[in-house]
Amino acid sequence: MPTISFQNKDLCDLVGKNIPIKELAELLEYGKGELESYDEENDEVTVSFGDTNLPYLWSVEGVARLIKGLIGKQKGIPKLDIFKKSEHRLIVDKSVKNVRPYIAAFAAKGKKVDDKFIKQIIDLQEKFCDSYGRRRKKTAIGVYNYKKIKFPIHYKATKPESIKFVPLEYKKEMTQQEILEDHPTGKEYAWILEGMPKYPILVDANDEVLSFPPIINSNYSGKIDIGDEDLFFEATGEDLDSVLLAANIFAQAFYERGFKIESVTVEYPDKKNDKITTPFLFDETVKVSLSQIRDLLGLKLDEKKIKKLLEKMQFDYNKGTVKIPNYRRDIMHPVDVIEDIAIAYGYSNIDMEYMKSYTVGKTFPIVNFVDKVRELMTGLCYQEVMSAILSNKEVLFKKMNVKEFSLIELKEYMSKRYAVVRNWLMPGLMDVLSKNKSVEYPQKIFEEGLITAKKDKEAKDYHRIAAVSAHEGADYTEARQAIDFILRGFDIDYKVMDVEHDSFIKGRVGRVIVDGKKVAYVGEINPKVLSNFDLTVPVCGFELNLTELFSAIQ
Amino acid sequence: MDINKLINKLHPLERKVLPVLDKSEELKDISKKAGLKEVEAMRALQWLSNKEILKIKEDIKEVAELGKNGKEYLEKGMPEKRFLDVIKDKAKDEDKIKEKLNKQEYGACIGILKKNSTIAISKEKGKLKFKATPAVKFFLENLKKTEEFLKKDFPVELNKLSTEERKILEELKKRKDIIEVDIKKSKRIELTDIGKRILKKGIKGKVEDKLTSEMLKKGSWKNKKFRGYDVSINVPVKFGGKKQHYRRFLDEVRNKFISLGFIEMDGPIVESDFWDMDVLYMPQFHSARDIHEAYYVKDPEFSDISKKILDNVKKAHENGFDTGSKGWGYKFDPLRTKRNLLRTQGTACSARMLASDELKIPAKYFAITRCFRYDVIDATHLPDFNQVEGIVVEEGLNIKHLFGLLQMFARKFADTEEIKLVPGYFPFTEPSVELFAKHPELGWIELGGAGIFRPEVTKPLGINVPVIAWGLGIDRIAMFKLGLKDIRDLFSHNLDVLRKTKVNI
Repeated sequence: MPTISFQNKDLCDLVGKNIPIKELAELLEYGKGELESYDEENDEVTVSFGDTNLPYLWSVEGVARLIKGLIGKQKGIPKLDIFKKSEHRLIVDKSVKNVRPYIAAFAAKGKKVDDKFIKQIIDLQEKFCDSYGRRRKKTAIGVYNYKKIKFPIHYKATKPESIKFVPLEYKKEMTQQEILEDHPTGKEYAWILEGMPKYPILVDANDEVLSFPPIINSNYSGKIDIGDEDLFFEATGEDLDSVLLAANIFAQAFYERGFKIESVTVEYPDKKNDKITTPFLFDETVKVSLSQIRDLLGLKLDEKKIKKLLEKMQFDYNKGTVKIPNYRRDIMHPVDVIEDIAIAYGYSNIDMEYMKSYTVGKTFPIVNFVDKVRELMTGLCYQEVMSAILSNKEVLFKKMNVKEFSLIELKEYMSKRYAVVRNWLMPGLMDVLSKNKSVEYPQKIFEEGLITAKKDKEAKDYHRIAAVSAHEGADYTEARQAIDFILRGFDIDYKVMDVEHDSFIKGRVGRVIVDGKKVAYVGEINPKVLSNFDLTVPVCGFELNLTELFSAIQ
Repeated sequence: MDINKLINKLHPLERKVLPVLDKSEELKDISKKAGLKEVEAMRALQWLSNKEILKIKEDIKEVAELGKNGKEYLEKGMPEKRFLDVIKDKAKDEDKIKEKLNKQEYGACIGILKKNSTIAISKEKGKLKFKATPAVKFFLENLKKTEEFLKKDFPVELNKLSTEERKILEELKKRKDIIEVDIKKSKRIELTDIGKRILKKGIKGKVEDKLTSEMLKKGSWKNKKFRGYDVSINVPVKFGGKKQHYRRFLDEVRNKFISLGFIEMDGPIVESDFWDMDVLYMPQFHSARDIHEAYYVKDPEFSDISKKILDNVKKAHENGFDTGSKGWGYKFDPLRTKRNLLRTQGTACSARMLASDELKIPAKYFAITRCFRYDVIDATHLPDFNQVEGIVVEEGLNIKHLFGLLQMFARKFADTEEIKLVPGYFPFTEPSVELFAKHPELGWIELGGAGIFRPEVTKPLGINVPVIAWGLGIDRIAMFKLGLKDIRDLFSHNLDVLRKTKVNI
């Protein structure tokens, strides 16, 4: 979830109105934002955004824009004047095609930058590249001192050792390869270029390096200082749409800061894209009908009202056509616009209604069955426990003195304790006993729940129940009596056969069979297992497959 | 105070002890007279004291007891007496004396006897020789008193000794292991007025302690009186079998949904990317997937997906299928979608239900599912948690019904009418809403999220009616209801805690 911080005064200056913090919290809800905190001393507001598709909101300029629409300071799509500058050429070499093919750029001029602005721009850039830009892989951004650049700019890919330049905030020249190996930022993002024969580079007409996208700017032109007036912006990436959107969002923010925006013409080597002037005017529209709105919202709104609501959310509307601002690419379907109409209308202003039709509720027959089994177990004075489904091999097999069987393993896990999916329940119960050695005996516990086992190359879930009883007199008879109580309780005929199972004492473990199906083990736990769990009392118990049992008695 | 009732409730031990109390007041004495062991008598006295029939008073006494040597001297006589006996008639050398006394006694005696001038010592051939003096007679007379003292009935209380005896005692205390003085606490019993009234009334007749089947068979119970119990006293704690607190809560949640007309759904724990995310229009390479960091399964690594549905979903992602959407506009990876993972969200079950032949329209569905999230474990996060999710399918549903449903949930599951609906974001619903409920102490609490499924979700599955999708953070709701602060307590393995956890009313 993207989180941004800014000074409230900065926001109020941009909006042109004082916004009390309480009111800000409510206004943010319209942008699916949440006021996380307000640090009064530093006047710092922290906001998190739930919708990861709205990167245009992730800056103080974006929040100010949202609020201006909501409080009526501005209607419809916000203004953005772009001055065409044909001399701003950016030539894309065909060598970047398989490396990082797309770039968008613009110039922003005529406003002295201060420290607040630099901080904001770095913040927005980071949030954008981290979240929306997939940690710079999809999109990365660079901002430069315009005055140090000579057009045309060339975007190309070169051999890792062929070009040397001084990276930002560094003193010595490095090759691109050296940057990836030794520079902290280089090391952090080296994964993006892994396995590439050539690395992208941006140079100006004098062959001065602007940057090594998506890694780092040069110290020469890629450094912004307080007092700089004219800036150059570029976004590179794998996806054309994303780099164009990045340029549009930043151009809008710079414009609202008082910069004059000048376009850049990007010249691609292939015919398909040819020349693209950026910021790019998508000028997207979507058609929304009154009936669609009525169907989804249950509101009878007339066109005038719809236009007003859409303008509040900074769309333009004309006769069923909604024009989308160029800093947005999240509108895929009319429902996206209709949601904005509902938000503008106010969720709290929408009446609630109940469904008209009568429906009958029910659950699965096996759920009722397992509930009755659980009820019988509590009747035998067993305490129910509930455990995590994730477990580990140590508990499931090693401590239980058995070989691994039909186990579902995970590719990666966070904690060794939770590294596989449990495929039987009794080990979990033994683990519970081992954690309760100081608690009064006898201890009788059971768990009913799902286990997952690999069967016929597929993962299958089964309802199981396991129960253990730990005390001085715990023996086979007791465990057998317990399972007998359950099965007899349902009037189920069963047989118990001799079986070998190393978790139990040899000769004191039985396999319970119902209608030819093997449904349970019952017996006395092997002292070796007890000592593995550091237990010093005898334990008996059983594990019963309820899914199998249920299907056997159907 | 009903004396008869009190008498009726007297325990057999109490009945034995009480009658001797008017004559005795010391525990030793009482137990002897009552024919009980001291512990039994003490227990009975304690009960009687609880009932305010008597008071147990504690006395602190200094008591003298014979030591190891004291007991020996009582038998053999004092060592100085034995010393003098040897030289009574004739002077003797040290060897003769040492036959009668041990080394320690010998040394001590020489000191005492010299001090009292009862012996004259000389040296012959390197050996000491002792001779009695006339002072012996007087000394022996005095010593008799000491010997008399040793014959007393020990242990004796110091404050019951005469001045002379005290003097002797003080002297003996200086010597090794003759007398030991201890501070002893002893109990003294004093009847209260109630106690005196009971004794006056007398404890008559036989009362039965236990009703036996013998009495029932013979009918002899008819003539018997049964002892009344003190029903107000605490009894030892007993733990029966109980359902686990969180599981019980989930049982109740299930029952509530069924009573509201919801049908239960389920789905596999090992789920495919397809049903877990792709069918829900979560793009394969979008940051929205960051919030669902998943546990991928080693083996079986892939699942089979029906080609028709897969094709539709692929198109929905790539170009919007025939929904009127432009789609996400990227190349959908049909292999990646088959990867298996542990279900990250219960919505996977909803998606499966929408694709199922069993789907009914209109209908309401719910699922209580175990879900998994790649996360660190702390007071609010578990890798393994429960979600309650579901769908409502009906022709003509709109946002008003969505809001109505959420209000009902707040009422049913959080016992509150005070709710707040805030615009939310889920990749699979539009519009989306988050449900907050007012908690009396904690303020606004997020209960869950909901929305109307995007056409990109429903249409590829062949559904052409609106579908409300909702989810409740059931773990969090359970924590509020059960008064727990740490999510790990929902799955507590502390048997003591499990046994003592309250059953929620």
